[in-house]
Amino acid sequence: MSTLQRVLYVEDEPDIQAVAKLALEMVGGFTVKICSSGEEALREVAAFAPDMILLDVMMPGMDGPTTLKALRQLPAASALPVAFMTAKVQPAEVAHYKSLGALDVIAKPFDPMALAGQVHDIWKEHVGD
Amino acid sequence: MSATDTPSAEAIAAQLARLREDYQARLPGELAALSTLASSLDGSDADSARLEELHQRLHKLAGSGGTFGLISLGAQARLLEQQVKQWLTASFNAASDPLWPAFPGHVARLSEFAESSHAGRTHTLPTRTASSAPAQDCHVWLVEDDPGLAEQMCRQLESFGYAVRRFDSIGDAEAAARTNAPDLLIMDILFPQQGENATEVLALRPTLRALGCPLLFVTSNDDFVSRVRAARLGAEGYFLKPLDVPRLINRIAEIFDKRRAPCHRVLIVDDDQELAEHYRLVLTAAEMEAEILHEPSAIIETIASFRPELVLMDLHMPDYSGPELAGVIRQYDRWSSLPIVYLSAETDLDLQTAAMDRGADDFLTKPIADTQLVATVRARIERARQLDAQITRDSLTGLLKHASLKESLEVEVARARRVGKPITVAMLDIDHFKSVNDTYGHAIGDVVISAVAMLLRQRLRQTDILGRYGGEEFVAVLPGCNSEDAYRLLDDIRQRFASVDFSHRGQAFSCTLSVGLATSAHAPQADRGKMLEQLFHDEELLLSADEALYAAKHGGRNQVQVARP
Repeated sequence: MSTLQRVLYVEDEPDIQAVAKLALEMVGGFTVKICSSGEEALREVAAFAPDMILLDVMMPGMDGPTTLKALRQLPAASALPVAFMTAKVQPAEVAHYKSLGALDVIAKPFDPMALAGQVHDIWKEHVGD
Repeated sequence: MSATDTPSAEAIAAQLARLREDYQARLPGELAALSTLASSLDGSDADSARLEELHQRLHKLAGSGGTFGLISLGAQARLLEQQVKQWLTASFNAASDPLWPAFPGHVARLSEFAESSHAGRTHTLPTRTASSAPAQDCHVWLVEDDPGLAEQMCRQLESFGYAVRRFDSIGDAEAAARTNAPDLLIMDILFPQQGENATEVLALRPTLRALGCPLLFVTSNDDFVSRVRAARLGAEGYFLKPLDVPRLINRIAEIFDKRRAPCHRVLIVDDDQELAEHYRLVLTAAEMEAEILHEPSAIIETIASFRPELVLMDLHMPDYSGPELAGVIRQYDRWSSLPIVYLSAETDLDLQTAAMDRGADDFLTKPIADTQLVATVRARIERARQLDAQITRDSLTGLLKHASLKESLEVEVARARRVGKPITVAMLDIDHFKSVNDTYGHAIGDVVISAVAMLLRQRLRQTDILGRYGGEEFVAVLPGCNSEDAYRLLDDIRQRFASVDFSHRGQAFSCTLSVGLATSAHAPQADRGKMLEQLFHDEELLLSADEALYAAKHGGRNQVQVARP
């Protein structure tokens, strides 16, 4: 299996985008693309060809779960590993998100110094390295 | 990891700080806009669009506030966001909700959280370097409305050296949390007088949670729902009434011990000074203590004075190679198990293996990602610490075992003679311990033993040596402590221990200690001819302390006796 290098992060909030980009690029050494909405992610995913997608759950317009469903219809993203990002990480909800086809759920707010490690752990656990 | 030239942790921290500053500069404007929007709600049809917008903006604030360390602002925004969401989906008219009139006020007061939560955050930043903080510096807040129980808990906690502040209601504690913060919060769950449940209050109101300190619950409710709620709030303990206070204190000590674990110490040996400095910064940013060896010939002196837990060594250096220096380190028995990790651009497997054969523990290939460096160093040191603890420490109390204790005593007595300072040995024994075991069982006996260990650890200094000498017998070695000071200290410990209430199946009991003390009558300077005599000397000290202990037992127990010189 390949290594985790390209990460697509879908998040509508510009402040969090900036911190996440920093956390994933500088701390994790990943190549990162940020999309501000589910629609944008659907347009960009094939060209960017990410190894993994991080999806904010709650976004205006298309929310995370809807975006995931739409991504799965695209040939380029039908099998891509996806993790949700959300403030609500209660066990029942985590189980629900996983049932939608996400590998795992990352809690928000995240620790900028630890985010890359979390993403990497999820990748390692589910995809292998 | 794919990163090869990751920027230093400091650069990252600087960038994060800049983002945070930008955010904080924009924050007042956003809060003002939110407040204006909330106060424009007038019960008309236009409200639903306003609520939509409020919902969006509060949601953003909730996410970004937390991300930038404004924890309680984020939490408060989250609550208001949920409130708005309820109104948006409600079938009734939102304006008829009793919570509606107060809503604009809550939004306007968000700015208070923007300041106070930041102060709270800086307060709770981990201070791992404060490894010798005595228990007196541990501030515990107790929120308990039952005056009898509160009184009892205060007394017990104080006898273990904790500074306790008592609150009768959750509201009082919340008010205090605006200006102050404890190191630990203990809360009763049910407050029948105020009709409040602490797990509900904490879930709904963020002031106390924003303290970010460990949380323990005390309750008579042992139902699953309450336990899950406590777990969701991140509680580190859930104690049922009637309260087993020694167990509670045991947990508290564990929590503080974990926080107080000394930071990892790393010695860096690399002729490339710039690279060495980079490693030092990376390790320092990960809260380790790192030092660079500038002069290879001083390696043994540096190790002896800095006492690293790991040596990070370049393989190829101009004057001496890594394996040569490792060989020198391994010539000393004391450093024979000091972890050595090579760092080199060497990819030749045979050369790596050869280096490992000559006393190295691991091999990292340059360039290495900072995160990997930190992770490897940390894991190596943790493992070395665990191993060391298993060999030298008693598993129940965490104190030194008999053999290690005698070794340390020898070293300390020698040091005391060299510097011409007194040294005192205390021998302690729990009175009638056999009957505790016989009456209440061994599990309770273990609780009593760990209570003694905890008291000793908390009342004595970091530099004192503590050991479990036998079953219920303990030894404390107090360098630089004369007979009078030692007496005061140990008699205080004796009294505190006697006031600890143990309980078993609702039956309360207490225990006492007998203590024997012996202080070295030191000669100002030991000359070489006296080396042999000195060896007997630490045996003698132990023997005298044991005799004094016998005298204390004979004199009626629950007392401290000093050996006659």
